Amino acid sequence: MDKLKGVSGSTPDKPARAKNGRRRGRLLLYAVAILAAFYSFWPIMIMGLEGYNIDLGPIFAGKALSFQLGGLTFAKRAIIPTPYYYLQALGIEAYPRLVGDTLLVAGIAVALALAVGIPVAYVLARVDVKGKGAIAYLLLALRTVSQYVVIIPLYIAYSKLGLYNSFTGIAIAEQVLILSVVVWMLRGFFSDIPRDIYEAATVFGKNEWQVFKRVVLPMVLPGLVVTVLFALVLLWNEFLIADTLTGVATRTVAVGVWEGMSINQLSFNALAWDSLNAAGFLAYIPAIIVMLAIRRYLAKGFTFGLAS
Amino acid sequence: MSAYLSFTTITGAPALVNYVTMFGDPAFWSALNVSLFYSLSSTLIAVGVGIGLTYLLTQEIRGKGILEILYILPLAVAPIVVGVLFSPSSVWDDIQQFLHFILGLPYFNELTPSFFFPVIIFSESWEWAPLIMLVALSVVNNIPKQVFEAADLHGATSLQKFRLVVIPAIFKSPVMQFVIVLRFIDAMRAFEIPLAWSNWLGYTTTPGSPVDTISLYLYKLLFSSSQGFPVGVVSAAAITLFAVTLAGTTVLLRLLKTVGG
Repeated sequence: MDKLKGVSGSTPDKPARAKNGRRRGRLLLYAVAILAAFYSFWPIMIMGLEGYNIDLGPIFAGKALSFQLGGLTFAKRAIIPTPYYYLQALGIEAYPRLVGDTLLVAGIAVALALAVGIPVAYVLARVDVKGKGAIAYLLLALRTVSQYVVIIPLYIAYSKLGLYNSFTGIAIAEQVLILSVVVWMLRGFFSDIPRDIYEAATVFGKNEWQVFKRVVLPMVLPGLVVTVLFALVLLWNEFLIADTLTGVATRTVAVGVWEGMSINQLSFNALAWDSLNAAGFLAYIPAIIVMLAIRRYLAKGFTFGLAS
Repeated sequence: MSAYLSFTTITGAPALVNYVTMFGDPAFWSALNVSLFYSLSSTLIAVGVGIGLTYLLTQEIRGKGILEILYILPLAVAPIVVGVLFSPSSVWDDIQQFLHFILGLPYFNELTPSFFFPVIIFSESWEWAPLIMLVALSVVNNIPKQVFEAADLHGATSLQKFRLVVIPAIFKSPVMQFVIVLRFIDAMRAFEIPLAWSNWLGYTTTPGSPVDTISLYLYKLLFSSSQGFPVGVVSAAAITLFAVTLAGTTVLLRLLKTVGG
């Protein structure tokens, strides 16, 4: 029986079967693609919805307003959508202040990292060094340093210098954290500039500084912007250093979301679930907008000059 | 300076006492174990998922632009918020209700190690798979068109093309190797997601809980320790973590070099 089927299938209606199989394959492909999309945005969507006090659990239970479960009434988790938590987070004094503080700290840190990183990356990309692999490895090793190796000495030093709980103090620590990333990415962007251009500029009698300022900098500007934006997102999301080296007065957004946003009892409580979700979602929006804007260049930035 | 501090004590005890204290602490060993397992498995899953997403985006399907944006979404969530997202009362609450009321399954317990440990690892991979995907996509874009045309000529299916052309190219790319190693390094220092979970599980102050990575162990040691402010021990552990990560990085780089050539 099976044999017969195989024979009849292999001769006349083979194209039809192949077409059928292909269609099934395409359907499967679409199903997996949509499933993967769900997998990616579902948790984020839940966060956004819970900020509006929308809980999906009761909907699944088929009773949107209240239901009984083992003697427990879930009536208080009924769905009454409200923008209250978002308005609260935006309205209270704490959230705008957190955003401002974070941008200030991240701005200083990125500026410091660029001041150190641009020359280093430029030299690494421009000069033909023998052990290129060794240098890449060394930069990687810089990244393996635990945050505590940075935090503890700074903690002690800051307590003595009075920099603890100050914007400068955090910025210096975070600059150490992002420096390796900044150097890598910039090195990649610098390496993308063809050698001939340097040579041509030198032939025209420009010195190294002029070559850098007039020729290289304009060419590398998009890459520089991508690097800065990526570093800003990293610092926006950074938690450990910001948490350990800050007090209540100098919190960044990530720390504020986790620990409750206000200095005083101006509201927001980390234990209040809906507030936590609303605050988390608000912190997420600017980061994802930046990330989506730079996504095409990000992979390019991650070549670290290794591809050439 | 941390290296120096790791050899000092407030009381002026012999220099290696911090290392002796640290290696004698079972919580340290448990944390080291957790960290290694956590970073290796989450890196592996992130690479797997990232390459899977790349496969989907290299097929001929409609709405690729939207799908790509949706797939990238996890990348910008702050790690501490990822800890919130995958907490029992956020995503799992709804999934529990779905399984219970739609599929009729009994509730499961989110607070057992066999459930929450995979979830923590999964959330780390969830966040970083898009990065692997972005890099893999850029590798795919750099493969010459002729290669695919030749494969078509030989009658290769899309899966064969992906398996025999794209995947080797991805692992051969030095950039991809670098990013995979980077992911391992960063996961070795993972802190935020385990912190959130140690909060949900009620392990806020005890070092040596089943979710303690080295970073979290050090945090608890530093800020909620009964022994005051044990800078020396923490420095010693941080230096050890550095050494272990560096060793792991070297091994991983070797491994990727031999795999990818």
